[in-house]
Amino acid sequence: MSYAYLFKYIIIGDTGVGKSCLLLQFTDKRFQPVHDLTIGVEFGARMITIDNKPIKLQIWDTAGQESFRSITRSYYRGAAGALLVYDITRRETFNHLASWLEDARQHANANMTIMLIGNKCDLAHRRAVSTEEGEQFAKEHGLIFMEASAKTAQNVEEAFIKTAATIYKKIQDGVFDVSNESYGIKVGYGGIPGPSGGRDGSTSQGGGCCG
Amino acid sequence: MSMEASELQDLSDDADYAASQQQGSASMMRCDSSKRSSPSEHEDAELIYLKDNVAIHPTQFASERISGRLKLTKQDSILFLSWIPYKGQSSNAKLSEKDRSLYTITAVPFTEVRSIKRHTPAFGWQYVIVVQSSGLAHPPLYFYNGGVREFLAIVKQHVFLARSAEDASVFLVNDFQSPLQRTLSSLELPSSLPVASGQSTYPSDGGSLNENQGRTSSDVGNRVSSLSQYGLRKHKSHDPTRDLSIHLLEKFSLVTKFARETTTQLFSENNGFGSADRRWNNQPVHSYSDKLSNIAEEKHHEISHSYSENDLLKDEDISNDIDVPADPLEFNKLSLVWGKPRQPQMGSKEFTAFLDSEGRVVESKALRERVFYGGIEHQLRREVWPFLLGYYAYDLTYAEREYLRSVKRMEYATLKQQWQSISPEQAKRFTKYRERKGLIDKDVVRTDRAFEYYEGDDNLNVNSMRDILLTYSFYNFDLGYCQGMSDYLSPILFVMGDESESFWCFVALMERLGPNFNRDQNGMHTQLFALSKLVELLDSPLHNYFKQNDCLNYFFCFRWILIQFKREFEYEKTMQLWEVLWTHYLSEHLHLYVCVAILKRFRSKIIGEQMDFDTLLKFINELSGHIDLDSTIRDAEALCICAGENGAASIPPGTPPSLPLDEGILYPQEDDVL
Ligand SMILES: Nc1nc2c(ncn2[C@@H]2O[C@H](COP(=O)(O)OP(=O)(O)O)[C@@H](O)[C@H]2O)c(=O)[nH]1
Ligand SMILES: [Mg+2]
Repeated sequence: MSYAYLFKYIIIGDTGVGKSCLLLQFTDKRFQPVHDLTIGVEFGARMITIDNKPIKLQIWDTAGQESFRSITRSYYRGAAGALLVYDITRRETFNHLASWLEDARQHANANMTIMLIGNKCDLAHRRAVSTEEGEQFAKEHGLIFMEASAKTAQNVEEAFIKTAATIYKKIQDGVFDVSNESYGIKVGYGGIPGPSGGRDGSTSQGGGCCG
Repeated sequence: MSMEASELQDLSDDADYAASQQQGSASMMRCDSSKRSSPSEHEDAELIYLKDNVAIHPTQFASERISGRLKLTKQDSILFLSWIPYKGQSSNAKLSEKDRSLYTITAVPFTEVRSIKRHTPAFGWQYVIVVQSSGLAHPPLYFYNGGVREFLAIVKQHVFLARSAEDASVFLVNDFQSPLQRTLSSLELPSSLPVASGQSTYPSDGGSLNENQGRTSSDVGNRVSSLSQYGLRKHKSHDPTRDLSIHLLEKFSLVTKFARETTTQLFSENNGFGSADRRWNNQPVHSYSDKLSNIAEEKHHEISHSYSENDLLKDEDISNDIDVPADPLEFNKLSLVWGKPRQPQMGSKEFTAFLDSEGRVVESKALRERVFYGGIEHQLRREVWPFLLGYYAYDLTYAEREYLRSVKRMEYATLKQQWQSISPEQAKRFTKYRERKGLIDKDVVRTDRAFEYYEGDDNLNVNSMRDILLTYSFYNFDLGYCQGMSDYLSPILFVMGDESESFWCFVALMERLGPNFNRDQNGMHTQLFALSKLVELLDSPLHNYFKQNDCLNYFFCFRWILIQFKREFEYEKTMQLWEVLWTHYLSEHLHLYVCVAILKRFRSKIIGEQMDFDTLLKFINELSGHIDLDSTIRDAEALCICAGENGAASIPPGTPPSLPLDEGILYPQEDDVL
């Protein structure tokens, strides 16, 4: 199927927060609690439509354990969007966000759009991180934020699409030089490239970020 | 254990060390008399630092260590590192000059160095690992006379060196990106230091010592001319691997003698997959899953298909816009050895024939050979795997094994008690335990649950898996638990059934593969490095392709190596592969040859489609479930035989599953400060 743009996404966050389940919910529209833990990286893809344009998302789902960080870093290259996921029922996964963000800032391009996702919001009775805390963190670091559930599918579609819409807007605003694939964007065969060759993205920080 | 460690440190017994000392001083004299004798591109380089008796350990054998000289030179304000092995070191006749040149590091500019890992154990030799920006890591450089700190201090005087925030033993070179790291690394390096301890020298006249380099290049010259004998194009570059390819070609005539079967094609990538390639290339590239279903279709034909030379030519004409360099091993296809056809699995009767009346395995090598070529019938696996893994010694009798099992069962129970007796109150104050348990609990329910044995809620086997992993994390507290371990344990538990027996088999396996799970990923990096060396040796065009496309870190093979292809084959096939690998029959590192075999099979696709790192990673990932095991094992066998000693020498010492070099500290926790 032809697309106007292809965006590379990467899903990061501690192990067990539900990264793979989010991906599966988004690509296959199902929740499968019994699947294998991720080793290295796994891939998913789906077409979406933004502004009447077909956009293909190529999604990299990574392993979360600490010792694999050095490998995971090599996957950031050329990602246009990142979903940074924590588990609202496990405080420590929220506490680790800063270090994930540090990795992302260091190894991804500065214009990468980052969506913070507080997953497992179906487990509200076991909540260990409040919605406000999530919002606050996102605000402080210039991220988009949503709580979601890979189990009930709440906000899953929205999270992936909102991220794409933000990237799309950046293209329209000329933030990216879309002919430069290191931004994680490929122009497809049927694509009408937006204004390109805008300002030099590598010097500007993404999303009005960090203080 | 401490005995071993102190023996390691006592160098006076080490013949090689003594030889290298003599060698060191001898070559020093030669150098002095031949200063600036050979014109080279580094003629006007300033010598900054020179250290003798810095060695590389290509294999675990002391006799095969290569001593040499480490130098830092400076030219046009760029610092270069080089390591040149000594010439004609007598103590190790087995090593040819070619082996030496494989490891030679010729003037790597520090602009291309990413990091230096420093290892200064309390016992054993100090070493550094130099990692280039491409991700390529050089094998450890052992400083027989010590002086690693001093070396780093000198480097620090010339380039910006910052201690990595993640790993205190790693120093990042010219890493200005992270202000955090820069502050962290106000580097407790001594700014002035006692000069010239040991054999280091700091020539003040800036004279360059090119003697070794000069020789090496002329040797290469000789070998390059021998290349033309084989009708290949002459190469200007002094690329030692090129020599090795030639060496390989020379070897083929010998190799043919190994050939038992020549009925099928060995390197079948152009055969079965050729037609698929053609079709794919006419389509815009969207989804590899489409392609993979094509692979699945083509797979049936793969082995039986045989193309004529004409077909091959035609295929290339049509399918490749990109000129795919020929596979150097195909050059002499007809004389190549084929891997032996797979035999039927070994059954009970056959196994019993390997045992004497009291149950000892009389000829362990013959048994391993038998398993290597055919594997084991499933019901028999639980008897044979403990041998292959090294849990049972081959010379144990039936009775002794029975006794071992009972002793080990009690030992396991004791170990398991250690965590079972942790009260909730104690657990509150035992973060590490809670973290590990949490991780293991999460992972055992995500391991092979679609497989019948682990299926369903409240599955007892899943509980056993959890108990074994938790017990192991106490048995080996330093290593702990890491993702991927459950992938190894799953088939072991399925085969052994018994919890204690599974635990001890798993322990034995982790003796070999534990380094895969080291926190600093050192075990993985050594294997990926060795793999890159093997590809360089066995398919230099493919190696060059990876080099040009920034793929030399071989991270795309990460999953293959971490869990030995567990995710690439279906369950039964994985067990078949593992028992072959565990025989250590042709090589301890057959798994690396398996990697090479698969890469070679898809080389023309990889190069033809000009895959970049991302595309390659995705492609490799999605090969899962589409690789034919038997032909892959045969290819790996053939490659291993072809590579011979050069292959073995491409694999740095201590590369898993070889035992680590400094056995004193199995899983070093480096928190010492420089
Ligand atoms: N209740 C609930 N459980 C979830 C949700 N997402 C994931 N899980 C569970 O959390 C576990 C880990 O999910 P997984 O996707 O493998 O985590 P990953 O390591 O981040 O990829 C799985 O066993 C899922 O059953 C969710 O939204 N709600
Ligand atoms: Mg996952």
